[in-house]
Amino acid sequence: MKRFLVILGCVFFALLSVLPAFAEVKNPDTYIYLSIGEPDTLDPHYAYDTASGEVISFVYENLIAYKGESVTEFVPRLATEVPTVDNGLIRDEGKTYVFPIRKGVKFHNGNELTPEDVEYSFERGILFDPYAGPMWMLIEALFGYETLEDFVADKVGVPWSEMVDEEGNLKSEEYRQKLIDFYNTYIDPVIEVEGDNVVFHLSRPFAPFLSILAQNSSWSAILDKETCISLGLWDGQADGWWKYHNWKKEKSPLYEKAIGTGPFKLLEWDRTQQKVVLVRNDEYWGEQPKLAKVIIWGVDEWSTRRSMLEAGDADQIYTPLQYLDQVKGIPGVVVREGSRLTITALHFNWTVAKDSKYLGSGKLDGEGIPPDFFSDVHVRKAFSYAFDYDTFIAQVLKGYGYRVPSVIPRGLLGFNESLPMYPFDLEKAKEEFQKAWNGELWEKGFKLTLLYNTGNEARQTACEMLKENIESLNPKFRIEVQGVQWPTYLDAYRQGQLPAFIIGWLADYPDPHNFIFTYYHSNGVYGTSQGEAFRKFAEENLNALIEKAIEETDPTRRQAMYEEIQKIAYENALGMPLYQPEEVYVMRSWVKGWMFNPMRPGEANYDGIWKEE
Amino acid sequence: MLEPHGDCSPHGVSLTLMIFYILRRLLFLPLTLFGISLLLFLMIGLLGPYQRLATFINSPERLKGADVDKLVELYGLNDPLIIQYGRWLKNVLRGNLGWSYVGKEPVLSAILKRFPYTLELTLFAAIPIIFLGTSLGVLAALNHNRPLDHGLRIFAVVGWSFPDFVFGLFVLMIFYGTLGWFPPGNLSVWAEEIVKSPYFRNFTGMLTLDALLNGRLDVFLDALRHLAGPVLTLTYVEFAFLLRITRSSMLEVLRKEYVRTARAKGLDERVVIHKHAKRNALIPVATVSGQTVIGLLAGTVIVETIFNRTGLGSFIALASQQLDYASIMGGTLFFGLILVIGNLCVDLSYALIDPRVRLE
Repeated sequence: MKRFLVILGCVFFALLSVLPAFAEVKNPDTYIYLSIGEPDTLDPHYAYDTASGEVISFVYENLIAYKGESVTEFVPRLATEVPTVDNGLIRDEGKTYVFPIRKGVKFHNGNELTPEDVEYSFERGILFDPYAGPMWMLIEALFGYETLEDFVADKVGVPWSEMVDEEGNLKSEEYRQKLIDFYNTYIDPVIEVEGDNVVFHLSRPFAPFLSILAQNSSWSAILDKETCISLGLWDGQADGWWKYHNWKKEKSPLYEKAIGTGPFKLLEWDRTQQKVVLVRNDEYWGEQPKLAKVIIWGVDEWSTRRSMLEAGDADQIYTPLQYLDQVKGIPGVVVREGSRLTITALHFNWTVAKDSKYLGSGKLDGEGIPPDFFSDVHVRKAFSYAFDYDTFIAQVLKGYGYRVPSVIPRGLLGFNESLPMYPFDLEKAKEEFQKAWNGELWEKGFKLTLLYNTGNEARQTACEMLKENIESLNPKFRIEVQGVQWPTYLDAYRQGQLPAFIIGWLADYPDPHNFIFTYYHSNGVYGTSQGEAFRKFAEENLNALIEKAIEETDPTRRQAMYEEIQKIAYENALGMPLYQPEEVYVMRSWVKGWMFNPMRPGEANYDGIWKEE
Repeated sequence: MLEPHGDCSPHGVSLTLMIFYILRRLLFLPLTLFGISLLLFLMIGLLGPYQRLATFINSPERLKGADVDKLVELYGLNDPLIIQYGRWLKNVLRGNLGWSYVGKEPVLSAILKRFPYTLELTLFAAIPIIFLGTSLGVLAALNHNRPLDHGLRIFAVVGWSFPDFVFGLFVLMIFYGTLGWFPPGNLSVWAEEIVKSPYFRNFTGMLTLDALLNGRLDVFLDALRHLAGPVLTLTYVEFAFLLRITRSSMLEVLRKEYVRTARAKGLDERVVIHKHAKRNALIPVATVSGQTVIGLLAGTVIVETIFNRTGLGSFIALASQQLDYASIMGGTLFFGLILVIGNLCVDLSYALIDPRVRLE
């Protein structure tokens, strides 16, 4: 028996000794990043999530790119110059932009880049404009409309659905010429090739136009016209362009194919393993990446990701804040930080749908709230005073976040730390509640339900903190916090049944308009969810200011305009800006050259980093 | 029983009966599947159109830019249920199971690509489960009420009551985190490069088998190394049931008259146990093992997630979370098919093992 144990021990130690020593760099020219999920689609004109944008931004290139870590300075990419007023490439008071196109650039299939490719790329995207896609940004910037269908309906005078059926066929031949004319009159002349240049004609000055074009904005990526046409995308003709509008995601051949000019080529997107593999483009016109291969791999289970980082089989992993302490002590692992331009805020629904389950009795009788409960400014102010912002950031976000005065994140024009913010002050909250609904609210009390989508622990805690504080003011105040699955939440949100909702926004382009319009304009994505009474308020007090601010080109005057909008938002307690999170990036210490840019959709600058101990 | 060279007269009847039996079971298959699909569709249909839109807008971040009401219209989520079901059924009859938003490819190809991984894992897990379950079960029965019997039963019950996600994490932390032996995933980076290269032919989709058929022993060993963790987890969590069945069946047989007769004849104890007792005791066990293997198919959900092996189980779990009805329906039909065919095979094998069934 003893001899047996000795042999067993020897075998055990022999096995241990053949294990790799962890200090050495594993897979030196391959980078493995473990994320959660995988891209939604690789069609640049459909993709609208960071996982897709990450892949697209290394395979495709745009006309210009952000300079290093800056979000306000640009460097040329496929254009040879960044247009400015000084170099004469921005003309007509900001309505014309000229881009000289780089020569000698090759697509991954060997085709040469031409100015026609640039014109085609933008026109295809605008005509395609899928319902859940990002193309509204360019349509707004170039034409001042929100969707292509609105634009067409306005110019042709007939709603889109009356002219074209779901398959993209004309419902009547009489519309053929009208739609052809629409393309020839309104789309084609706006983006034009002039010699080696591509010229954009905007309908009005649009301050963030260059940001919308910059690298990382997949919607402005440059495609190869010849490849696209041969794959079955829009053929470049005026006749029949409507057949290529609003395809379902899976119908686009670019869904899984990606042929760009970028520093990496798409080797494969293995959807059974949620894995994207990129390989270095050896023909790249610019500086060659040091990595030969990049693997972006969806590993949904946190413990698995952590173990693989610890073993050195992964170079970088996605780490939710609540697990940060588990990686901090691992030798050879570093945590780097950066703030994306993103905001999380609580907003109120001023006119909740009458059939909502979350209003209790639906009356101001202590057993519920009336649908227009939050249209009283005192209620909104009382809520704003009743949240402990600093404790939330310190405890729940573990210090990885900032307070902000409005929905403009720090780092953007219009942000001003010294703008007024509601302090956490229960005395003032009490005063406001006593004033609300002519004092009736304080006497009768209320009951309402706050929803959060399950799995989002930060939002859950925020709701619970608010509940605790408000209920402590008056025993007749009751708030129920309820977690629901995302589909249920989405349903209630869309039907206008939520009395209040916590929702975030990540910048599409680094400009205050992107946030101010979204939350405060009556047509903004979240503006429309705040009820009829809010929309009326915005139309009277905010819309004109917001629309004026976007046309202003002088930064000092724009700053003042946005500060004015933010003051209105503060005085009327339009919402509770909760925090701007700071994000953590967890990687092996052998990752060198890693750099952060707030507008980068992905986790690393794969074209600049290398591995070295 | 399906012995073509057998003695014709007594077996002829049973053969015809057997074929009739199989045919009848197979004829019921489409009907069963139709019933399942209708039931499922009605259940999904009870949810509102905006709830089902979660398939397309799967997180708060996706709300931006989405024209929600137009999406509802585009995907026909607001149409009457019967029209939606008819649309789905029409496509299925044409061989089109629809598009999987979770798998990001057509449902059928998503399933067919994932199934070999799950099947491979199941088969590899089945070997130790059946072997350990039966042999330890016999061992426990032979040592009835002795310390070994108690020890084995405690060991088994502990495994049986372990949730697989807890035990799976232990295995991952010890055998990968600390020892570095059994990494998660399907293959190492280098092995995957070989498998994805044009020289490597995919015959079955099962990595170990394909590696052997391509003559790549290194890839085979790498695939085994990646299988070890999940197999170990499944084995410990699942083998207890077989152990208990074997043990009680064996105990019962050991008390039978013919065992006593065999012993009384003065037969060697080993012959008595292995030839007379064990063979008879294993008949019910065979049925149970068949069902265990089929059940394992579903049991791989958690293990696949923990060890990051994307297979069919985790695919359907994800589809249900996102209400991706095409994937749910397709996946369920496929599982239904496997289950019905699997059970048929179990029934047939039962006849194969037990002569009393064969001659009926």
